[in-house]
Amino acid sequence: MSYLKRTLGGPAGAILLAFFLAAVAMLVAGVSPLDGFEALFIGSLGGRNQIAETLVQTTALLFPALGITLAFRAGLFNIGAEGQLVIGGLAAGALGAHFAPATPLAIFVLLAAGFVGGGIWGGIAGWLRAQFNANEIISTLMLNFVALAVANYLVSGPLKASNASGAETTPLPASSYLPTLIPDTRLSIAIVIAIGAAIVLRWLLKRTVFGYELRASGEAPDAARRNGVNMPRMTLLALTLSGAIAGLGGATIVTGVLHRFNTQLSPGYGYTAIAVALVGDLNPLWVCVAAFGFGILEAGGLAMQALADVPKDAIHVIEGLIILVLAARRYVATRAEAAPI
Amino acid sequence: MSSAGGALIVTLLTLTLIKSTPIIYAALGGVISERSGVVNIGLEGMMIGGAFTAVLFSGMTGSPVIGIIAGIAAGALLGFILGFAATVFKVDQIVAGTGINLVAAGGAAYALTLIYNQPGASPQVSALGNNFWILVAIAFACAALLHGVLYFTPWGLRVRACGENPRAVHDAGLHPLRLRLYAVILSGALAGLGGAFLSIGEVNIYSDGMTAGRGFIALAAVIFGRWTPWGATGAAIFFGFFEALQYVLQGHISWLPADAMQALPYVAALFAIAGLVGKVRAPAADGIPY
Repeated sequence: MSYLKRTLGGPAGAILLAFFLAAVAMLVAGVSPLDGFEALFIGSLGGRNQIAETLVQTTALLFPALGITLAFRAGLFNIGAEGQLVIGGLAAGALGAHFAPATPLAIFVLLAAGFVGGGIWGGIAGWLRAQFNANEIISTLMLNFVALAVANYLVSGPLKASNASGAETTPLPASSYLPTLIPDTRLSIAIVIAIGAAIVLRWLLKRTVFGYELRASGEAPDAARRNGVNMPRMTLLALTLSGAIAGLGGATIVTGVLHRFNTQLSPGYGYTAIAVALVGDLNPLWVCVAAFGFGILEAGGLAMQALADVPKDAIHVIEGLIILVLAARRYVATRAEAAPI
Repeated sequence: MSSAGGALIVTLLTLTLIKSTPIIYAALGGVISERSGVVNIGLEGMMIGGAFTAVLFSGMTGSPVIGIIAGIAAGALLGFILGFAATVFKVDQIVAGTGINLVAAGGAAYALTLIYNQPGASPQVSALGNNFWILVAIAFACAALLHGVLYFTPWGLRVRACGENPRAVHDAGLHPLRLRLYAVILSGALAGLGGAFLSIGEVNIYSDGMTAGRGFIALAAVIFGRWTPWGATGAAIFFGFFEALQYVLQGHISWLPADAMQALPYVAALFAIAGLVGKVRAPAADGIPY
């Protein structure tokens, strides 16, 4: 009974609530929930192509959600995964368009560029927090807007493809595409990399001294400091790594899906990923499951709009409500000495 | 040349006032909420709620005044949701505020498609026109009023005490949770008014993303202004200046691209919160559920 209560009060309850709210949103739009859900599931799981697209969305959400998981476990609110994702994608796209060597090695270079780019973007917030006690919530959010401005400027100016009508970089050479996993779909092996990253993150958090110190500085900062954890260094490392994982995700979208960089890279994956991380209970393996669930919503939402005439933005309302409900569980250890906000 | 320069400065100052106004409203909302002990990350969402609802009601009734009132009410409603969650359910305020932001942004986009059948932006509605200056003036009046209420009324003292030591407020026979709830509702109302100014004060439509992070900039203004109404107002004007500067410079400086200048207010906010090392102290119980 208490197990049932605990489950319903947590992620499972939030998901049930999500379905209920989705039904309400469909009724408001004048659509029978049965038709709406049918469209949602046919659009996301109804065939080989649909499942592939759901997994594309899953991958795009999983990377930033893992980054957020790492930061939240360290007691740091990284709300800036969106900007880190964009900068990671921009780094991969820019490098791939202009400097990529035409060898199979190129793909590793581009993914590393995304990892480093996102890491720098997260690291700025980490440095500001460690050095100046600047609140990371505000700095990561501000950096989202700065990232978009930087990307907008570069793709409409210095990095704009010479023959492109829109704002985008020169396409990557085919040699630096991520290999496709299911032929004739947009699904690349990025999903495998993402799940690998989740496994590595779980190992890092549970089985290494670094992970132990990271969790300790989130849950009991005083005790962590007294036991010799260098807190400013941990803050910098946690936000850098968090941004790097999101940035790697941006690079996989560029090398695996778009094959070039443009500023439509993300329809808000970095924000939705907050919900993914929370529904996944900040546990890397459950975050994978949650990402698949939200991947269904993202991929099915478009089908729902096309087939059942329910605006796809309903999905984002539902995601927000899930976050609101889950906020009642205290996942995130609030650091006793949180920066002023 | 000098008269052209003079005209430019007048334009810059006028624009600064206009661009500051929505940030002032939201920042004042942030001050009252945080002084009561609730961090309001949802200011952005409350501005979105205010901006959209103002357009909706102005369009339905043809009266921008009713639109403004509806915008305030929408912000207050979102404030109630956050306040209720923060007091009764003792939620993580940061997480809940993030939820409010997603609900508001998604809800406005959903409603745009549902009501007007045109995603992205609403049709034009009747707006305040030149009367928007009244709302600019009211922003400063609100700052003065909030200063008076916080520092010179018993209720203000109680709200501030809630943010420092809610236990003591409880022991004095008062209701800290009720005080916090009222403070957050008021916070939402102010942010909603700021949003309404954006949509039917400055322009006459609602478009997705029009708040562009002003709610978060307002949070930075609260810190920069050291949790005081006048301080936050001054900080909001500082950020409004950089937003205005971006428009004024666009026609005059060719080497600095427009896209780069769009980053100006956000970079200013980054520098502002980073430049305050060791100089500020948040209310002691800020963000901690009671």
